[in-house]
Amino acid sequence: MTVHVQLPPLLRGAMDGERWLEAEGATICEALRDVAQQHASLALHLFDEQGQVRHNIVCLHGGAVVRARDMHMHRVQQGDELVLTNALAGG
Amino acid sequence: MGVAVIVGTAKGAAVLKSGDRKTWDMSFELRGWPVTASARDDGGRTYVAVNSPNFGVALFASDDFASWKQLESAPRYRPEDRGNPEHHRLVAKMDFEGKLKGGGRFVDQIWTLHPAHGALYAGVSEAGLFLSRDRGESWQPVDGFNEQPGRENWAPGFGGLGLHTILTDAKNPDRMWVGISAAGFFRTDDAGTTWTRKDESVHGFGGNCVHHVANDPENASVLYRQEHFGVYRSNDGGDTWQVWEDGLPVAEMSTGHRCSFGFPLVHDRKSGASFVVPLDGDAFRFPRGGQLAVYRSTDGKTWHPLTDGLPANCFAGVLRGSMAGDQMDPGGLYFGTTAGAIYASDDLGESWREIASGLPRIMSVEAYAT
Repeated sequence: MTVHVQLPPLLRGAMDGERWLEAEGATICEALRDVAQQHASLALHLFDEQGQVRHNIVCLHGGAVVRARDMHMHRVQQGDELVLTNALAGG
Repeated sequence: MGVAVIVGTAKGAAVLKSGDRKTWDMSFELRGWPVTASARDDGGRTYVAVNSPNFGVALFASDDFASWKQLESAPRYRPEDRGNPEHHRLVAKMDFEGKLKGGGRFVDQIWTLHPAHGALYAGVSEAGLFLSRDRGESWQPVDGFNEQPGRENWAPGFGGLGLHTILTDAKNPDRMWVGISAAGFFRTDDAGTTWTRKDESVHGFGGNCVHHVANDPENASVLYRQEHFGVYRSNDGGDTWQVWEDGLPVAEMSTGHRCSFGFPLVHDRKSGASFVVPLDGDAFRFPRGGQLAVYRSTDGKTWHPLTDGLPANCFAGVLRGSMAGDQMDPGGLYFGTTAGAIYASDDLGESWREIASGLPRIMSVEAYAT
């Protein structure tokens, strides 16, 4: 499955300002692993030392807010858009 | 010769450049990233460390202070490394899912970058030491330090377990020192294989909360130390320490101990002068009476206040990494406050000017002759 991943503003600097990336995968987690494999600098930001999606990252997908812990089981379809952002924090 | 000052703030890096140290141009780089440390190697490449509670730690590099490229590698622990439970308790305030309680060890901040002997060292939180021999393209843990017995019992400071100070000896690459809040001050004499605590006779409270230590790498065994509980000096590489507070303001600390409290300590190599910014004890953490003052010692014995050009109503602090010298002649000094103001002196602290204000909280300051 090819999906379109929108980077949060802070991470676009690592990609020369690029907003959208293409990735392959059957789940959100697989798509993010593909992004990390294609772009080593993004791997630092998306995955922690344990190989897990950083716990404050969330993904907006088809109207759902998917937390990091659920991304490995949240399936995607061809052409889906995945919007990466961080969990809301603060006041 | 000019100077570039890299000011790390909670929302980016202010880059201040001057040809005469009187007029300054500023740009604001790496917008949105908390910038926690910077360093410049002998080849003229500048490295900046960023961290984000959401997107982790990374390094950017620049050869011209203007265009910044993220490096593809950064210090990281191994998946099997176990973390310190007290550090987790303190930093897990941003961990909505309690993941840190699972016991892994994570790099959540780069506190300091230190080029020496052809390598680049990084001191991180959770406390550890990493080394790159290829200008940051790859990083290796210094296992002799990171895996030493007892680290699970180290007591974190309020900001967690941070390895914030790295010192080296220009004449002896096997000797090195690191400081950790609040595990203490350590020395190796065998290139990082084994380490020994060097806190004897330094006042502590459980562990030793070293705030900052400076030296001249060419005369490396003379050490200048700002501790949570006072200012100290050592002439023997840290084997023994002497209280060094004559002339400094002394405050009653939360424990009742009386000493001079502060965070940064800068040593100007050409003049031999040292500089501290005393705060009114650990309960208040701002300048006494609001008078921002730098204290200078030129003889290694007594301290004298310098206030010309500094504000009389300042109730902000100056963090441990937020003061630096440019090591020119005469020495230029630069420091930033938690309220976002930068002060500079081009005459060894005799007079100061505010060269920037309105910045986010300032977490690191480094100055480079260009």
